[in-house]
Amino acid sequence: MSETQTHQNAAVKASFDPANGVATLTLAMPGKVNVLNDVFGHGLKEALDWAKGREGLRGIIIGSAHKDFCAGADIDGLYAERDAARMHKVVTELCALYREIETSGVPVVAALTGSALGGGYELALSCHHRIALNDARVKVGLPEVQLGVIPGAGGTQRLPRIVGIQPALEMILQGQELRAPKALKGGFVDALAESPEALHQAAVKWIHENPKVKQPWDEKKLRIPGPRPGSPDARNIFMGACAMIAKRTAGVFTAPKRAISAMQEGISLKFDEAMKIENRYFVELAISDQAKDMIRTLWYYRNAALKHEGLPKTDDAGLASVAILGAGMMGAGLAFVCAQAGMKVFLKDIKQEALDAGVAHFEAELAKKRHLDDAAKKALRDRMVPTLALEDLEGVDLVIEAVFEDLDLKHRVTKETEPRLSANGIWASNTSAIPITDLAAASAHADRFIGLHFFSPVEKMPLLEIIKGKETSEETLARSLAFCRAIKKLPIVVNDGYGFYTTRVFSAYILEGAQLVAEGHDPVLIEWAARQAGMVVPPLQVFDEVTLTLGLKAMKQGRKYLGEVVDNAGTALLDKIVNAHKRPSKAEGAGFYEYEGGRRKRLWPGLAELAQGKPELTGVEYIADRLLFAQCVQAAHCVADGIIEQRRDAEVGAIFGIGFAPNTGGPLSYMDRMGLDRVVEKLDALAKEAGARYTPPAQLRELAEAGRKYLED
Amino acid sequence: MSEAMIFDAVRTPRGKGKPGGSLHTVRPLDLMTHVLEAIRDRNALDTSRVDDVIAGCVTQTGEQGACIARFAALNAGYDQSAAGVTLNRFCASGLESINQAAAMVASGFADMIIAGGVESMSRVPMGSDGGAIWDAQTQWDIGSVPQGVSADLLATLRGITREAADAFAVESQRRAAEALEAGVFDKSVVPVKDRNGLPLLERDEYPRPGTSVDALAKLNPSFEVMGKQFGIDHLTKSKYPQVESINHIHHAGNSSGIVDGAAAVLIGNAEVGKSMGMKPRAKIRALAATGSEPILMLDGPIPVTRKLLKRAGMELSDIDLFEVNEAFAAVPMAFMQEFEVDPAIVNIHGGAIALGHPLGATGAMLLGTALDLLEERDQSTALVTLCIGGGMGVATVIERV
Repeated sequence: MSETQTHQNAAVKASFDPANGVATLTLAMPGKVNVLNDVFGHGLKEALDWAKGREGLRGIIIGSAHKDFCAGADIDGLYAERDAARMHKVVTELCALYREIETSGVPVVAALTGSALGGGYELALSCHHRIALNDARVKVGLPEVQLGVIPGAGGTQRLPRIVGIQPALEMILQGQELRAPKALKGGFVDALAESPEALHQAAVKWIHENPKVKQPWDEKKLRIPGPRPGSPDARNIFMGACAMIAKRTAGVFTAPKRAISAMQEGISLKFDEAMKIENRYFVELAISDQAKDMIRTLWYYRNAALKHEGLPKTDDAGLASVAILGAGMMGAGLAFVCAQAGMKVFLKDIKQEALDAGVAHFEAELAKKRHLDDAAKKALRDRMVPTLALEDLEGVDLVIEAVFEDLDLKHRVTKETEPRLSANGIWASNTSAIPITDLAAASAHADRFIGLHFFSPVEKMPLLEIIKGKETSEETLARSLAFCRAIKKLPIVVNDGYGFYTTRVFSAYILEGAQLVAEGHDPVLIEWAARQAGMVVPPLQVFDEVTLTLGLKAMKQGRKYLGEVVDNAGTALLDKIVNAHKRPSKAEGAGFYEYEGGRRKRLWPGLAELAQGKPELTGVEYIADRLLFAQCVQAAHCVADGIIEQRRDAEVGAIFGIGFAPNTGGPLSYMDRMGLDRVVEKLDALAKEAGARYTPPAQLRELAEAGRKYLED
Repeated sequence: MSEAMIFDAVRTPRGKGKPGGSLHTVRPLDLMTHVLEAIRDRNALDTSRVDDVIAGCVTQTGEQGACIARFAALNAGYDQSAAGVTLNRFCASGLESINQAAAMVASGFADMIIAGGVESMSRVPMGSDGGAIWDAQTQWDIGSVPQGVSADLLATLRGITREAADAFAVESQRRAAEALEAGVFDKSVVPVKDRNGLPLLERDEYPRPGTSVDALAKLNPSFEVMGKQFGIDHLTKSKYPQVESINHIHHAGNSSGIVDGAAAVLIGNAEVGKSMGMKPRAKIRALAATGSEPILMLDGPIPVTRKLLKRAGMELSDIDLFEVNEAFAAVPMAFMQEFEVDPAIVNIHGGAIALGHPLGATGAMLLGTALDLLEERDQSTALVTLCIGGGMGVATVIERV
């Protein structure tokens, strides 16, 4: 009688201790993670039924045998399903199982020894009580909107009933994940425990103390924290959430909008009715084009890039020390990123002031790392050596050159510094546009010469565009990729050519913004059109940030590589704004926008007078087409010219590097979704009307004629 | 004066008006949107030519507040020039919207109007909009009792027994079941789907086919406790001193069902129909509204029918069939008693006792049912009337063209 009873199936290991009446269901799917799929559903159901059949059952604890509690749904299943009825069946079955857990008649506790995300956190919400390990690595959250869907297993209904409407909206709309200590403060978990054993004991104790517990929504009267559903205060919260979405993303993502509706329409209903509302919105999104496009790029392509799929690998990068040339914002930031990854870093400049500023930047970054103790901070600081002396770099394994964008200067620096490299050292240029092969002309070891194009601010921006020069060896690439992994960046690997991939697409975007202004399109409309097309930052705003001066310099350089085609009314306008009107950048307090105290105030009214006149054809839709297709056609060229080798890189690079509309999945996804025949039609029309730069490459025409896509699953 | 023609009428199936009812998870806005879309699509309507959308809706608060007609028209994708107005004539709101549309069209002030109504009784409970009828002072100055007590008072005054009312209810169920079985409503009922196109409700779900007199006899009267124990019956004394004791005969089985639903009727002049290639199915021959004593409240169909016939120069015998709303069994029974109408031509396919009474929409639903019946039976003229809170009656006569 008093012996522990056990049960095991493909997803769950269960045990029942007759001494305390508690059944423990431990999620233990094969592999390293628990993921919501059929195996999970059947296993949990079977284990639950088994537990309910134990004589003397007083309560159930649900835990995990893996590092995470459960990180959510099986994306493969979600991605593949296009049928509303089948999707509806899958999701309602899971919801029924979760409902069964919370109405099983005994208290159920979620034991969160690891992170509970998405459907995993929704499982925890279906328990009566949530205890998490007091560890910052343990997170809870509902990140579904990031993949274009909403929580589909009760998250939009249970969470607001537990923590209140406002906090639930914040978590769901932003796809937030909270660390356990913070989650406790907001009521997202109910208690913390210091160890897995203590957690188990606390769970048993809670079960014994709460034998008759029901979910708040199954009590006669439900009181949810915060404003009462339907009250003016609650209405204001929902209205505010809509406004926030409009402000942040111009409403281009469908999922957060549906999440608000699911919550608002469900919150006043009885729980089982409310779930129907969520189910419907979930199904709508789960089978939608937007979710599919987002999942492909933001999940599959991103993961493939992170795993370096299809790219050369090496066991030993042999890059223990790094020298960064140029202590500007990029150089200093890079030094920090490398030091953080445990490398020995030399930050080299030729001017003491520049070096001091670089060190100050490094220190400011270090100060932000609150989770590091003093010893860890000191160790990190000690790994970085600021220097003016070339000889300090003797024997360094990797040099990342981050000096001004000037071919001659870069050549000079290469000749001067390359001899200091260790025997097998790698030279990397952080140039954003100059062909690596041209830069490598000054190198004695072009096979160990590569482009590592980082994005600013480098501490935050995830992307690293790796450029292979003509002579760059496979080994150099493999070692650079290992370096990329060490500093936790997301790589794309492209071939050489002026502007590579990201710069080519990005400059097409901002230059088109300038061109549209020059043609007389309302700048206010230009900025809005970009945002409602999904672009993360509108073109004139971002132009001010990268500086118009840089734009002019780049044009000068571009003429060298691309010829006169770069000149148009837009570049002439830039010249006037910078040189005649002295409006070079946000940093200088004047550009396309006016600034007060460093803050953007309004578009400069003088722009209207610099325009050529009034365009016949304008409007949000037209301008949005111009801005997106200006980029898409460059992406198409990069594919056609072989700059892009793996097409996933076109999507990952555009979204994570330059903020191309994430709602579309990237430029190739966008064109595919529209249909390439229609794209060719649009591009031909734009080429005729707005300029030859829109002319589609032959490869795109061929694909269109063959009825094919860029990204064929 | 031009004539107001009826081109089409549609309605949702009626869902049980409580959690678990098939339309409970549908916002009233979406119910109304649904019928507006259906009537547009069935008739290939150019909505820029719709002058107005008039929706009856009784409980205009919460989700049914803030002029639901306007937002439903926009939500349905109607041209923004198609305006919207929401009106409240209590239980006759749906018919009132038709009458007002007809008046606008007949007078020449409008060419084409969509009239109808909506009520999600499961989501926006009856009475949740408050109002002066609940004030204590109203009690002393005017007199106001719950409808059920009024219905029982009406039955008492007219000598309608519990047995007779139950028999009437059983017949309503029988007729509705037969009609549903035969699919006669399918012509005008547009199934409701969710946003993914999955079916929510295809047919009226309130009826209980096979309801027997014996089963109904077991039900307790709904308003007896309130009337006798809480003393509500005494509030009728000032007006009805001769009633010694109210006979509480009504219960859930012989009163109208609480349901969710919406309806829309397309009304316009002959010219607009011609120019859009639509054939009129009937015309509005006559209409009227009147008030009656507010405590008895529910006998309005009688005076309003008299008023209408007189104004239109018609006789009762000119009417081929009647739809008299079954708010409570006593209401159509009193009507038949007063006018000595053959029960066979009143509520031929059953009424609200079996099918339910989605307050703001019912009048428009009854009109559509009457129109379908005239065509089905190849008859000419029908009268639709409803009893109304506050003591009123509204009636409409339609005639096939």
